[in-house]
Amino acid sequence: MINVKNFDIVTPGTLLSDENNGRNGTYNEGNNIYSKYFGMVQVNERGVSVGPVTSKYFPEEGDEVIGRIVEAGSKYWVVDIDAPYLVRLDNRDVNFRTEMGELDKYMKAGELILARVTMVYVNNAADISMKGTRYAKLPPNMIVKVDPSKLPRLIGKEGATINLIKQETNCDIVVGQNGVVWIEGKGGNVTAAVDAVKFIEENYYNPNLTDAVREMLQNVREKT
Amino acid sequence: MYEKRLDNRAFDALRPMEAETGVVPNAKGSARFRIGNTEAVAAVYGPEEVKPKHFEKFDKGIILCKYDMLPFSVPDRAKPGFDRRDTEISQVITNALNRAVFLEEFPRSMITVRVYVTQADAGTRCASLTAASMACADAGLPMRDLIAAVAAGSIGGKTCLDLTKEEEDLHEEGATDVPMGFLPSKDEIVLLQLDGKVTREQLKEVLAVGKKGAMEIYELEKEALKRRVSNESKS
Repeated sequence: MINVKNFDIVTPGTLLSDENNGRNGTYNEGNNIYSKYFGMVQVNERGVSVGPVTSKYFPEEGDEVIGRIVEAGSKYWVVDIDAPYLVRLDNRDVNFRTEMGELDKYMKAGELILARVTMVYVNNAADISMKGTRYAKLPPNMIVKVDPSKLPRLIGKEGATINLIKQETNCDIVVGQNGVVWIEGKGGNVTAAVDAVKFIEENYYNPNLTDAVREMLQNVREKT
Repeated sequence: MYEKRLDNRAFDALRPMEAETGVVPNAKGSARFRIGNTEAVAAVYGPEEVKPKHFEKFDKGIILCKYDMLPFSVPDRAKPGFDRRDTEISQVITNALNRAVFLEEFPRSMITVRVYVTQADAGTRCASLTAASMACADAGLPMRDLIAAVAAGSIGGKTCLDLTKEEEDLHEEGATDVPMGFLPSKDEIVLLQLDGKVTREQLKEVLAVGKKGAMEIYELEKEALKRRVSNESKS
């Protein structure tokens, strides 16, 4: 039997269910399922899961992340992707030709890149790569950091919420799975998009979030 | 014989409590816990890179906890910085948190917990541990359970819950202080210390009383954490 319902807030150690149907954010002890996090419950036919209220990004293979170059070495760049550890981008893993030596003539410290996590080691170290047409250096623009646990709410069902923000504000938005959101557009539009992202982060528990965001963006537009 | 408590409380009653989370905006998670005149503020940072490097464990994370009594927390000014007592309490809090947090989920990283006692009137290690566990939950760490810690003891053969400093100092009556920490929903003890003398039977009684108090604290902790989300929904 499941003791909780959708959108309930639970604390660690709360008994969720006595069936073997625990999913993410739960743990099993003596045939019972308990919550692992302080967070929100999701119940569906596959089982119970708990999404933490806040979390830290840990790299996973295949994640698309937005990173900032910290240092250019002679064979690799050191990149900050908002994880506990800095990661390494090898000079062979970029989509342009490089010569060994001074790598900062291609990408300097402080520049933003979109890349993919190719490998995660047991000890949390990771490699990223920019091979492929999707990945490139990003022009300097507005960056917003969102808590990784709230990213699913920002993206919405099949990208519904993020596409809504893109349409309503005419902005180009790239969401890295590490919680970094890159926004490009014209002055006022960018501010509106940032407001929308912040709004989602604050109202993540709202079940009808897409509608709330639409309303919020319309209010902003009427004001300007 | 200790007939009536100095502050007219029942023998198994806690002092008035208050709990709150999200008090330190710069930290990943934070909490404040007050019980009577004892107040502790805890802040949690991380998971982040381990520093100093030699503390690093390749297969799990570590918790670094620092407990500190602020100079103005006691009637005689406490010397700033860490003394032997602070180091000991930091260690017992770390040991307790190690039992509660799933550290194997953060290989090679570190969680920093800082606890400050702003007011001290006995039971600071229990208040600190309670605040620290709330702050850990608030920081989104995976945990087995919250920790509820409370001190109980016996004065002149009478079992008392949540002693004040005045009561702790009743040495002529044979005051004994037993700080203890529980994982309430698991029925597990993560902290148990003893200051004074106690018989085996008495210790059992003290533990039972402490457990009852801890359950009360546990309910307050849960409520304080939940209140944080509902406060956000109002604003």
